[in-house]
Amino acid sequence: MWLPLLGLILGISLGLLTDIQIPSVYENYLSIAVLAALDTLFGGIRAQLQQIYDDKVFVSGFFFNIALAAGLAFLGVHLGVDLYLAAIFAFGVRLFQNIAMIRRIILTKWTDRKGTID
Amino acid sequence: MKQGVYVRFTIILLIVGFMIAVQYNTVQKPESRDTRDMWEIRQELTVEKELHSELLSKIRDVNQTITKYENLQSESPAQALNETLDMLRTNAGLTEVTGPGLELTIEPSLEGQALGQEVTSISPDLLVQLLNEINRFNGHDVSIDGKRIIHSSPIRDINGKTTVNSLIVRTPPFLIQIGTETFEDAEILYNHLKSSMIADDFFIDNLTLTIEEPKDLIRVPAFDQNIKNTYLKNASKGD
Repeated sequence: MWLPLLGLILGISLGLLTDIQIPSVYENYLSIAVLAALDTLFGGIRAQLQQIYDDKVFVSGFFFNIALAAGLAFLGVHLGVDLYLAAIFAFGVRLFQNIAMIRRIILTKWTDRKGTID
Repeated sequence: MKQGVYVRFTIILLIVGFMIAVQYNTVQKPESRDTRDMWEIRQELTVEKELHSELLSKIRDVNQTITKYENLQSESPAQALNETLDMLRTNAGLTEVTGPGLELTIEPSLEGQALGQEVTSISPDLLVQLLNEINRFNGHDVSIDGKRIIHSSPIRDINGKTTVNSLIVRTPPFLIQIGTETFEDAEILYNHLKSSMIADDFFIDNLTLTIEEPKDLIRVPAFDQNIKNTYLKNASKGD
């Protein structure tokens, strides 16, 4: 349970300590990549809780979503259309759906357990 | 199975955390904003342009030397080397320089004399300040009271006496000769010194700085001591 949290803390401290900065031109790409990563992550957690989790789907989805989002933003910049908004919208909606789903599952589990104890 | 899932989540979270931290760094510390106004940028541009033209002329000089070497390679390399050596000696201030320039006279001020104040020797700080002003406007060859200034000339107080090249500078009046490359340079230097506040600084020390008109022919004496080399050494043959 604590291992993933440790990974997150390690990643954040690594990023902060190395003090890496990217040029402001690429800021958009990174933000959208972060969004895609978060979306995949919550999707993975939801799948795990629903016991339909698949390694291949999760890992491939993670990298594919990031690449797709960045690619869409890149294409948008070159076409003069803000295509990254589409990615932000899609990922944002899915993120909320996934989180809502996780919340419901956990709530159900919690009430079930409470019911059995009572 | 369960363990594998955790490891994958950990790796993914590591990547996510890293990305978030990088994004945070980028957003929090934007590159320092350029707050210079038009005028400052123009001034900086002027400075850079001057540097550019200076560098260009240096490159031209060096190219000329190279061409000279190439031409003389078959005929007389020694002559080319001697010419370079002469040029270096001139640049270093080891030869007497005659050419356009101007003369400055430093005298005790009339007010000081009228009040019967003692004439003291000029302070090293004031001399250094004057030299800086001269250097800023291409005063190439300078001699203070007959003592040639070179790159390593010390101007300092030794036992209460102001010295240049460790030789005592006379109490005023004495002369400062400045050699410039062209007569125009001499005129520019003259106008600059006239307009600068340096004369006021002299007046505070009860001295008068008289700036003579630029002349076509000024004689600046050579540096007549040995240059001490502490760090430079002869290269061994073949290096």
